[in-house]
Amino acid sequence: MSEKYKFDTMSLHSGHVPDKETGSRAVPIYQTTSYVFKDTDEAAALYNMEIGGHLYTRISNPTIATLEQRLASLDGGVSCVACSSGMAAMHLVVTAICSSGDHIVASNKMYGANINLLQHTMTRFGIETAFVNPNNLEEIEKAIMPNTKLVFGEVIGNPGLNVMNVPEVAKICKKKNVPLAIDATFNTPYLMKPISYGANIVIHSLTKWIGGHGIAIGGAIINGGNFDWGNKEKFPTISGSHFALNGISFWEEFGPSALTAKIRAEGMYNFGPSLSPNNAFYILQGIETLSLRMKKHIENTKMILEFLKENEAVSWLRHPDLHDHPDHKIAKKILPLGSGSIIVFGIKGGRDAGKAFIENVKLSSHLANVGDAKTLLIHPGSTTHSHLSSEAMKMSGLTDDMIRLSVGLEDIEDIKIDFEKGFKAAAKISSKRS
Amino acid sequence: MYTDFKGNKVYFSTGGINLVNDKETLCFVHGAGQNHYSFTQQIRYFVSQGYNVVAPDFPGHGFSEGNQTTSIEEDMLWLSELLAFLKIEKATFIGHSQGCLTILELAEKKPELVRGLVFVAGAMSIPVNDFLIDTSIDNPEKAYDLMVTWGQDNYGSFSISDWPGHNHLAEGNAVMKMNDSSVLTTDLKSCNLYDNGKQAASKIKINCLAVLAKFDMMTPLKKGLQMVENIKQCDYKILECGHFLPIEKPKELNALIKNYLNTLK
Repeated sequence: MSEKYKFDTMSLHSGHVPDKETGSRAVPIYQTTSYVFKDTDEAAALYNMEIGGHLYTRISNPTIATLEQRLASLDGGVSCVACSSGMAAMHLVVTAICSSGDHIVASNKMYGANINLLQHTMTRFGIETAFVNPNNLEEIEKAIMPNTKLVFGEVIGNPGLNVMNVPEVAKICKKKNVPLAIDATFNTPYLMKPISYGANIVIHSLTKWIGGHGIAIGGAIINGGNFDWGNKEKFPTISGSHFALNGISFWEEFGPSALTAKIRAEGMYNFGPSLSPNNAFYILQGIETLSLRMKKHIENTKMILEFLKENEAVSWLRHPDLHDHPDHKIAKKILPLGSGSIIVFGIKGGRDAGKAFIENVKLSSHLANVGDAKTLLIHPGSTTHSHLSSEAMKMSGLTDDMIRLSVGLEDIEDIKIDFEKGFKAAAKISSKRS
Repeated sequence: MYTDFKGNKVYFSTGGINLVNDKETLCFVHGAGQNHYSFTQQIRYFVSQGYNVVAPDFPGHGFSEGNQTTSIEEDMLWLSELLAFLKIEKATFIGHSQGCLTILELAEKKPELVRGLVFVAGAMSIPVNDFLIDTSIDNPEKAYDLMVTWGQDNYGSFSISDWPGHNHLAEGNAVMKMNDSSVLTTDLKSCNLYDNGKQAASKIKINCLAVLAKFDMMTPLKKGLQMVENIKQCDYKILECGHFLPIEKPKELNALIKNYLNTLK
């Protein structure tokens, strides 16, 4: 992977030099919908994607482009398209590659909305998905059919915290000539770069650790540029003739960046899930401190794991860095700096005790997000995954008593005190039951 | 566009458009370890400007199959034969890096084919240090990294791009990985061996353009300027970027080429 500068330097500088006109050191927010063409020649060239530049913010924008270029450089990708959310990113990838009659192989332990999109929405458009255990390599290989156009998984599953063996899955995908798309939201490029392990497409919800402050929704697709889309029969949307742009083949004209060119030319044009320039700016501020925050997230996670391990109110505890986690070995290999800052645990006393815990912590926030600088908690069974059937919940590794904890950057002693209050309330419920 | 040429599948980009007989042709000639993607932001632009564009992948590069040519002289012959095969009688040649050596040789040996010449980040000779050649043999991917990193100034190294979302370093690396792994070594050796550049340059009788890069670490600016001095009529411009000028400064390069083409009319 070609990198002239190290991660921390790229986090601050990639995609931007001081503004030529004003000298602005910070990335300016280009709050504009459109851009005045220099002449008709330039206008035509921009519309036809012959040269780089901006014509309309639904397609691209200078502030958003800075974010995209920074993300591409941090993840080692050839190009990136940022969009309105992580779910928009996933939708853009699926629709860029797949058409009616195509097939996807996906992890059965993913974020509920990812599963919903593939299981319920895409099927209405004739795109079927086989859900597989992301840790069963044999099952993944067997599930790949001649019409499989995409294999999809998460590095760290949400909320089950399984760790996908990305290097081995990537080998299978390469052998079968199917692109591997990986949702890397929970690890961020600071902890692990899927492209360096053979993945072809990386998806991020920028809303989480990358933005890091719970203030802006955003998503991104990073193109590894390491997949051969040349099979026109199999990948007609990338290597066949495009309906516009004089019928070009993205693969022939844009090569390693063919996928992102397709997404920009079709997905951003026709669906329009654009990120706002303001949100791009907020997310860029987050990226500037990504490595500092991730170090502290990991440090706090280690301490809170020790605390929870010793706590009598906790019935079970799961995190890939724990030796008893089934994916600990692969986690140590591909996530050597730490396996993220999400912890899941059960509270003695079941569902009601879990509810009491959540309602009695004050510093930690009960809400539907992860990866904020602040510590967050949720009870997935009654919130994020409430729409899943019991069977689907079980497949995702969920139980009634499960709490998902997103460890923040507070002084960990304060979080421990806060949790003690919650545990005390939970214990009352638990003792009433016994 | 694919064709069967000399028993091999050969690819040449035309910007996705069929060649038209009565249009002037521009032929883009890529450099060492590269392919037609070096000119992504030139090919379709000049098609829209009304030109036929031919940007071949040399054998073993990009989508073209066949045994690689092993000298600049062979590159020149292969290119001239391909153009004859495509029934192109005359063209303006735009070479980048090693491609400049190829078009210098072409200008001397096949002047009847040449309407105009544009040298991009070029020189009359491109000696390559042993370290890079050895690395390209022992560890091609390391050699790609070195070339791509040396090939960009800070602007490119920080993924600053007019092309939204693009990371030149990784993209350059990915383009080089598309070729057979032995391609770069052979190309570098071809560059190293070529010693006819000065004579070829001195024989050019048409007006040429050289677009040079101020921070070029592959073909240093002073070597580019020596080439300019040796060509009877060669305008030149220096852009503030690194060796991969067509990617780093596409708009500026396109404008310079466009102006030059107007002088040929």
